[in-house]
Amino acid sequence: MTQATLPRPIPSRGAKSARFDGDKALALICVGVPLLGLVLFFLYPMAIVFLRSITTADGAYGLSNYAEVLGSSGFWRATRHSMVMGGATTLLSVTLGFIIAHGLYRCAFRGKRLIRAVIILPLLAPSLVQALGLIFLLGRNGLVNQIFGIEMEIYGFWGLLIANTLYALPQAVMIIGAALVLLDARTYEAAEVMGASPLLQFRDLTLPAARFGILNAAFVVFIITITDFGNAAVIGGDYSVLATEIYAQVIGQRNFNMGAVVGIMLLLPTVAAYAIERRAMRLQGRQPANAQRFVPSFAPLRDLPMAGLSLLICLAVLSVIAIVFYASFVRLWPYNMSLTLKHYNITLAGGYSSLWVTTWISLAAAAGGTFLVFLLAVGLRRAPAILVQPLQVLAAMPAAVPGMVLGLAYILTFNSTATPLYLLYGTAALIGIVNFYHYHTQAFLTVMTGFRQLPEALEEAASSLGAGLGRVAVNIIAPFVAPMLISVFFFLFMRSMVTLSAVVFLTTPDLSVAAVTIMRLDDAGLTSQAAAFSCAVMAVVVAALFGMKAVLAYLGHRTGSGSVG
Amino acid sequence: MYLSVENATKTFGKFTALDDVSISIEKGEFVCLLGPSGCGKTTLLRIIAGLTETDAGTVSVEGETLSNLPARKRGFGIVFQSYSLFPNMTVAENIGYGLKIRGAPGDRIAARVRELLDLIKMPTLADKFPAQLSGGQQQRIALARAIAVDPRVLLLDEPLSALDAKVRADLRGEIRHLQRSLGIPTLMVTHDQEEALALADKIICMNHGTVVQAGPPEDLYHRPATRFVADFMGTSNLIETDVIRRVQPRLLQTRPNGADAEYIACIRPEHIDLTPDAEGPATVRDISFLGNLKRLDLDSPLGPLQVETHGVDMFSPGDRLSLAIAPDHCVWVRDDLTGAGA
Repeated sequence: MTQATLPRPIPSRGAKSARFDGDKALALICVGVPLLGLVLFFLYPMAIVFLRSITTADGAYGLSNYAEVLGSSGFWRATRHSMVMGGATTLLSVTLGFIIAHGLYRCAFRGKRLIRAVIILPLLAPSLVQALGLIFLLGRNGLVNQIFGIEMEIYGFWGLLIANTLYALPQAVMIIGAALVLLDARTYEAAEVMGASPLLQFRDLTLPAARFGILNAAFVVFIITITDFGNAAVIGGDYSVLATEIYAQVIGQRNFNMGAVVGIMLLLPTVAAYAIERRAMRLQGRQPANAQRFVPSFAPLRDLPMAGLSLLICLAVLSVIAIVFYASFVRLWPYNMSLTLKHYNITLAGGYSSLWVTTWISLAAAAGGTFLVFLLAVGLRRAPAILVQPLQVLAAMPAAVPGMVLGLAYILTFNSTATPLYLLYGTAALIGIVNFYHYHTQAFLTVMTGFRQLPEALEEAASSLGAGLGRVAVNIIAPFVAPMLISVFFFLFMRSMVTLSAVVFLTTPDLSVAAVTIMRLDDAGLTSQAAAFSCAVMAVVVAALFGMKAVLAYLGHRTGSGSVG
Repeated sequence: MYLSVENATKTFGKFTALDDVSISIEKGEFVCLLGPSGCGKTTLLRIIAGLTETDAGTVSVEGETLSNLPARKRGFGIVFQSYSLFPNMTVAENIGYGLKIRGAPGDRIAARVRELLDLIKMPTLADKFPAQLSGGQQQRIALARAIAVDPRVLLLDEPLSALDAKVRADLRGEIRHLQRSLGIPTLMVTHDQEEALALADKIICMNHGTVVQAGPPEDLYHRPATRFVADFMGTSNLIETDVIRRVQPRLLQTRPNGADAEYIACIRPEHIDLTPDAEGPATVRDISFLGNLKRLDLDSPLGPLQVETHGVDMFSPGDRLSLAIAPDHCVWVRDDLTGAGA
């Protein structure tokens, strides 16, 4: 029989003496470092932007900037436009999103993989690509006018509405889909046995289940729309919105304080919408642990129209992206439609250098950001209960701040020689940092989802075997939440590759990023080159997406979690 | 006394999980903490493991106080109900993890892992991942992982509760065998009295955050100290003093002195002898077939009674019969539920 084949580990004696506990120090670092980052790169710049909004021309504090902004008709027009645009886009995007999500999760037809693939396309490109595509499709020189001779005014409300709707659609589908998935198949079976017709089941089961998902999606779409800059800049035309108004104040008139005021005014509806959205999310509830996935069976009356509608929506999404791809190869749109690669030979606006710079920045933001949110999540598990709640609130705050406002806050903070932070101004590092903090909330919440699934017993078992926090984090927690960490890494990478609003103020003549280059090419009238550059960006992002899927598949395969239970 | 807990107290908000509890474990002893859910048994185990802090009281092993020592420095082994194998590690890596932390050389770890896999009769599973194993297999691995480091104490938190009945019985035997042969002092938390009776050298029966009775399984079964223990440890017929006095005054001879409400008679179902008797005072109301024995529900002058017999089909519902109870099979227990005796 086995006897002790190893000397028994000798726990350090003298337990009564108060001694240095390495675990507590490590937990402190885990919380402290990300907290320092949030304070320096989120709270502090936001305080600065607020201070600047109440700094008057002569340097005193006062509300005269606000008086001036609130007294200008331009501001009220932009506000009205932003609200109308936000409302209309929300209505349209959520309706279309519900149709797609309902088709995907509650109907039976073929080609769902294709729908899923097409529907996320807008996320893989800078937002202004929708606008670019619409111009190629419906503009004065667009395909529709060329073929059918139907001329329409695409610049302005309608163009922007379509562009925004397509851009927000993936989020709407994902959020509503997640709510629909929650409903247990057994519930439908119970209703079926009780004699409820499909229509009644839809009214009494599906709709109530999706209610909070729809509400949630509505607020997310609203926020995306009123804070987006790229589409408004390219296709908005005379239809000024708050995001373009900030840009005009800051870049056009070099009036930073007024820009700050408009930024604060844009912050108000966003924060309100975000607060309501978080509440709606909490109300949604969780899926019971033993829920059965609903597998719909074919019902022609329901499924054929749903499949048709889904197909139409997907066609719209696809055509806008596809036309950009096509146009990037056309020699001289619309006069010479022969195909060429010459637009990919980009020499203006720094050529491809900004693409590679953006790729490196995105990799760094993704790696550093993933590490920081992981650290924070680990630290929160060991932090004193009194700290946990405020830290979670702080970590979830950046999502309420529009990218334009964060970017403005950064330029006000880091382009000032008052602090050593000035050293960061004009560096690629600062762009990486702004990208991370812009998307901090989503990254943090994703990692926390993983942490919630981590059974405490795993950590306790490891502790009982003698593992300290460092070992627990590296050997137990990190592998367990690896799928989440990988998702966060690629999420941060892909967002950093395509984001425009936060970085538009931080680029310099020497340092540009991909989305800004596309905007500059388009501004310069080089639409075909802008299209070509967009395609290059999309190629990098799509490659990253496949990379993510490959890594996740490998992980699932390795531990066998994919095949059993 | 190898491990002892003295005067442990723990509250969660307004809920008192442990109220001044003291227990001890001897070298090589298998002790079961038995009680209904919420009685504080798991809290006590977690305090011993160092996973929960006490409000007051001490935990010591061989006279050394552990109260300030975090779980990772106690050198104990623990097995949870939920298996809790590390999903990203193979079976071999799971078992070897504690040794790796202690800096043992790779070949020594490998040898120990092989030895343990043989011990739990699963020599071929070394390279599998937990998700590829059944619940019973996972719990065996968890057990091997806990004993791989030669723990000073083995702590088992309802290790069998998540398993199917058949697997549970097998693993129960194996835990017993392993513990006996390795001689590791073991504390197991369970709410299953049958499990406790089968495994333990000593059972500590808990209720409402206090120890109600501690002793060998036979003691707790045959000489329960209180109504709670009598009720929790198997089935018993509990009959109040005035009924006994009226119907079977003979049984009063073993009764300690005290007010009527203070003690109550406890008669186990297997200790009532039945005789068919057309004039008898009791009637068969219902019969349940339990395989090796039958359980009869009777209406009698003592009130409703449960009786277990191994006899052939002597009775059917409606039959009349007479009862015989030996005075030494009537155990008088404190009535801790009315509060009078507590």
